[in-house]
Amino acid sequence: MITPIIDFDLTKIKTKNRMAGIWQMMSGYRLKYFLAIFSQLFSTIFKSSVYILLSWFIDTWLISNERSIPAYGIGLGFVLLALCEGLFTFYSNSTANYIAEKMALRIRNNLYDQIQRLSFTYHSTVDTGDLIQRATSDVDAVRRFFSEQAIGIGRICFLYGVNFIAIYRMDSSLALSTLMIVPLVFLMALFFFRKIGKRYEAYQNQDALLSTMLQENLTGVRVVKAFARQDYEIEKYRKENWKKFLLGKKLVFTEALFWPSTDLLCGFQMVISYMLGAYATISGRISVGDFVAFQALIVWIIWPIRNMGRLIVQMSRAFISFQRIMEIFANEQEPLDEGTVMPRKTPEGEIIFDQVSFAYQPENETLHDLSFHVFPGQSVAIIGPTGSGKTSLINLLPRFYEYTSGSITLDGLELNQIPRAYLRKHIGIVEQEPFLFSRSIAENITYGAGREVSPDEIIRVAKAAAIHESILTFEKGYDTLVGERGVTLSGGQKQRIAIARTLLKNPKILLLDDATSSVDMDTEVEIRAALNELMKDRTTFIIAHRIQSIIQADLILVMDQGKIVQLGTHEELIQQEGFYQQIFNLQSQIEEALEKELSHGG
Amino acid sequence: MADNQFEEEDFQSKFNGNVIKRIFEFVIPHKRWFFLFLFCTLITSVMDSLQVYLNKLLLDNAIVPGLKSQVLPYLKYYGLTVIVQAIGVFTFVYLAGMLSERIWYDLRQKMFEHLQKLSLSYFSVTPVGWIMSRVNSDSFKIADLVTWGMVDSSFAIVNILISGGFMLAINWRMALIVFAVFPIMLYVSWQFRKRILREFRLVRKLNSKVTGAFNENIMGVRVVKAFQREDQNLKEFNDLTYPMFQSAYKAARMNALFLPCIQLISSIALGLIIWSADWQIRSGLMTIGGIQAFVNYVTSMMWPVQDLARVYGEMQQSIASGERIFSLLDTRPAIIDKPDAFEPQTLCGEIEFDNVSFWYDDGDGKPVLEDFSLKVNQGETIALVGSTGGGKTTIVNLLARFYEPQKGVIRICGRDYRDFKMESIQSRIGMVLQTPHLFSGTIRENIRYGKLDATDEEIEAAAQKAGADTFIRSFPHQYEEQVGEGGNLLSFGQKQLISLARAILADPEIFIMDEATSSVDTLTENLIQQGMDHMMKGRTSFIIAHRLSTIKRADRILVIEDGKIIEEGTHFQLLAKKGKYYHLYTQQYREEKERDLKLNPLSA
Repeated sequence: MITPIIDFDLTKIKTKNRMAGIWQMMSGYRLKYFLAIFSQLFSTIFKSSVYILLSWFIDTWLISNERSIPAYGIGLGFVLLALCEGLFTFYSNSTANYIAEKMALRIRNNLYDQIQRLSFTYHSTVDTGDLIQRATSDVDAVRRFFSEQAIGIGRICFLYGVNFIAIYRMDSSLALSTLMIVPLVFLMALFFFRKIGKRYEAYQNQDALLSTMLQENLTGVRVVKAFARQDYEIEKYRKENWKKFLLGKKLVFTEALFWPSTDLLCGFQMVISYMLGAYATISGRISVGDFVAFQALIVWIIWPIRNMGRLIVQMSRAFISFQRIMEIFANEQEPLDEGTVMPRKTPEGEIIFDQVSFAYQPENETLHDLSFHVFPGQSVAIIGPTGSGKTSLINLLPRFYEYTSGSITLDGLELNQIPRAYLRKHIGIVEQEPFLFSRSIAENITYGAGREVSPDEIIRVAKAAAIHESILTFEKGYDTLVGERGVTLSGGQKQRIAIARTLLKNPKILLLDDATSSVDMDTEVEIRAALNELMKDRTTFIIAHRIQSIIQADLILVMDQGKIVQLGTHEELIQQEGFYQQIFNLQSQIEEALEKELSHGG
Repeated sequence: MADNQFEEEDFQSKFNGNVIKRIFEFVIPHKRWFFLFLFCTLITSVMDSLQVYLNKLLLDNAIVPGLKSQVLPYLKYYGLTVIVQAIGVFTFVYLAGMLSERIWYDLRQKMFEHLQKLSLSYFSVTPVGWIMSRVNSDSFKIADLVTWGMVDSSFAIVNILISGGFMLAINWRMALIVFAVFPIMLYVSWQFRKRILREFRLVRKLNSKVTGAFNENIMGVRVVKAFQREDQNLKEFNDLTYPMFQSAYKAARMNALFLPCIQLISSIALGLIIWSADWQIRSGLMTIGGIQAFVNYVTSMMWPVQDLARVYGEMQQSIASGERIFSLLDTRPAIIDKPDAFEPQTLCGEIEFDNVSFWYDDGDGKPVLEDFSLKVNQGETIALVGSTGGGKTTIVNLLARFYEPQKGVIRICGRDYRDFKMESIQSRIGMVLQTPHLFSGTIRENIRYGKLDATDEEIEAAAQKAGADTFIRSFPHQYEEQVGEGGNLLSFGQKQLISLARAILADPEIFIMDEATSSVDTLTENLIQQGMDHMMKGRTSFIIAHRLSTIKRADRILVIEDGKIIEEGTHFQLLAKKGKYYHLYTQQYREEKERDLKLNPLSA
């Protein structure tokens, strides 16, 4: 049996009502969960029956001496009742937990997929820590709603109902007497758990603070040592640690107050009930057996009520968690296959910008009126100061963002009509600060290949990206883990691995966002050679800041404040007065100045 | 580094008496609370069993014979036990809870203080996360064991013993039946616990992987989209979450089976009691109240048995936690003061490296510095240049005595610096690190870190000298502005200026600066330069230099390559040599100028 990874799409839940939302999410498991709760009823009935049987045993066997069935039969009866109760309890709890875990799985997979399919606009506004919290502890809170709270509340209600009826059948006034304390205990529990909840939050915050403090101390250990501030750090930590102790004490005090005070209430309810029951027995209204059963049944009415308060408070938190999760699903996914045209297999790579404008926020335009024409296989260099819109421009090509007006065509087709999936398949990007995953280097290189890649091929691209030699210096070579648990790579090494990764993808259009920014000049020469190889027969966009990597470009765009202020080839641009010429002249001036400096020194 | 040294593995710990002993040593200072809560637990547990016995007496002596006047006296006693129990519960919950908090406090404090003593070599091989788990969660498990674990287990044991005593008193033959069932119950409980624990461990492990996967997916979302890994990623993610679902469900199912099984076993005991009750009552050995008491004792016995099994399982984990905590506490600092170390009047700024060799313990054993010698005069500014990994940082690490040389001597003021107290050296050296680290708090607090008793005026004066005053005053809260965790609310350049102000405030005798390689804007760079000038004036200074302006200003430039000084002299001397320095310099020159081109707005 193969079930799809996402067996229910949570984005379909549109309701703002949390109960209704949970109900919709349970799709496919509603009946099952209902049965789980419902079997608690049978479980409680069998539980109470044990005491009814005991009552019958005492009255008929022990007191009236009527032995219609043998004693071992009654003993067996007890075992059978326990077995029945056990079966229903087991079924109920195991089913509830099954559904709870299924729901957690459903939410986790949905969340993961949703997160990776949300647009860049969403990701640029979101806080990673918050998102992870929602994906972990909030999911867990919702899981517990199914595994503990809903089923627990159901069980308490049934316990109450069944035992009440059982006592009522013996003697109605006795049953009513048990009602007195119940609302009191319930309200008290609700009150206390609210209060405990608040104190717990303060306590938790202090704990988080302490944890942050330790982390800062550990990451800043060199500063601490450089200033010999160990004693100061210890004092600082002690102060907060002590504060946490005091908050903990306060929290514990509230809890310590809650249990015995409800204990007292419940205890006195028991005493009164016993008294009434005792009088009723002595006056002959109920039998001795009934009294024994009554004593046992009342326990199962009174004590579970204490837990009701806790469950309800926890449930209200689970609802909040559910809402926090659903907020993520309220955002639109970025449709990958949306588009009205389906281009041919591989693009030629002809790109035309015609009066393209783009804004991250409607009131604030980032790119204005860009027009230029790139022929297949050409390379385009973009230069300009920081914040001039270079990265924004290349972000438009894989449709990471949508241009707001004008037209961009790829091989004559309007870009915003071409499915994103197609574009991203044929466009390769090397970022300025490339992100590597905490897997092996080999796995990072093959990350986007989407097929089996032979070790030879990996080595080939690594060599092309001038990283092969560096990789071999690691003890485990290509199997070296990257990131926290593995080696720390320098910025240049990361960039070269990212280049290898893109090489393997073999895209028709290549976007290089300052791909050589964090390597020294010697390495850059190597990489540039690799890139030149890579750029052959591909339409390439390069953001760069060194004249050497720009000179060979077929087209140079000079950008400033979101506009193209100059465009042309190197030969054309050095003839024109303007920024490019200025840079180029400056570049030669640098060389002259350097010459002068050196000769002066010598 | 050994690969699995820091893996989060709950090793199945055998009972290690020594560890348990050491764990309980943390209780000794608070033994009064400890014994008091144990005593209260005991009382509460006795009351529990006593109530069942009082019920028996009520039934036998008042209800069955129909004596109305006898009802109230028994219930009065019953009421009394309720009150005593409430007092007991309050006391033990409060004391155990407080003690748990206190021991947690003690453990954390002890570990934190020990960590402050450990040398840098420890932190360079131990992941921060590993230490954090020891201090934050392992300590909690220990605190939990010696308090709530003790409450639960002593409650359970006393409950079983007292109930057993009452049962024996009521009817010893029937009591023996119960005692026969009891070990079976305990055994079954433990078997269940063991398996549930195993699955839970698996779930926990997978859970941390799931969290990691979420984290990567968010951080690397650009790459995911650019390489269209969405489908493949989801599949891989499901390979984590599905086994997690399976394990979690398996554990939950076992848990769901656990209780009914125990209940079934106790019902067998119950059945046997009822069966034997028949002839016991006929022969007058048993009363109705006795039967009721037995039923109650037997049905409530499964709770303490469950508790025992649970505590036993937790104890195993706590011992593993204890072992890890003690492994941290037992780590000796790599650098400690000699017993006769003293505090010098002044460090005087004369420094000599005499045939120093050094290698990192966690490295490949190749020396980073070999027979390295260097003499620095009072007030001299030394610029260290050369490619990464050449040993520049190692030189300043040794000077600051973060590490000590394995061979050779480092002399300050003509004396082996190991004769001085470590604290006296470090408090007189001012350091600005390549990646400036700030602590969360205000700007003022961060600068004050350099001199704890500094007045506000001194702080602001230091900030002015560092060139940080202007941007600080541009914040709405000025010096009271929060810098955020690790200073991340400020820009890199701002952090650097503040850490420079911090060092200026400390007014050190020796100044060390590891210049940042990341570029900052020209204005900030100028400010940093001014601050540095201020520091270097008349002070022995070591600069790991990346900026040309700094390099040129140094009295002496050392080109370090493979742990050796390959070229040495002033800027012009070295240029004339046309060697490594010449190459480095021209390359750096071009890069800096080009960077200016990129960073300066067109209009400028």
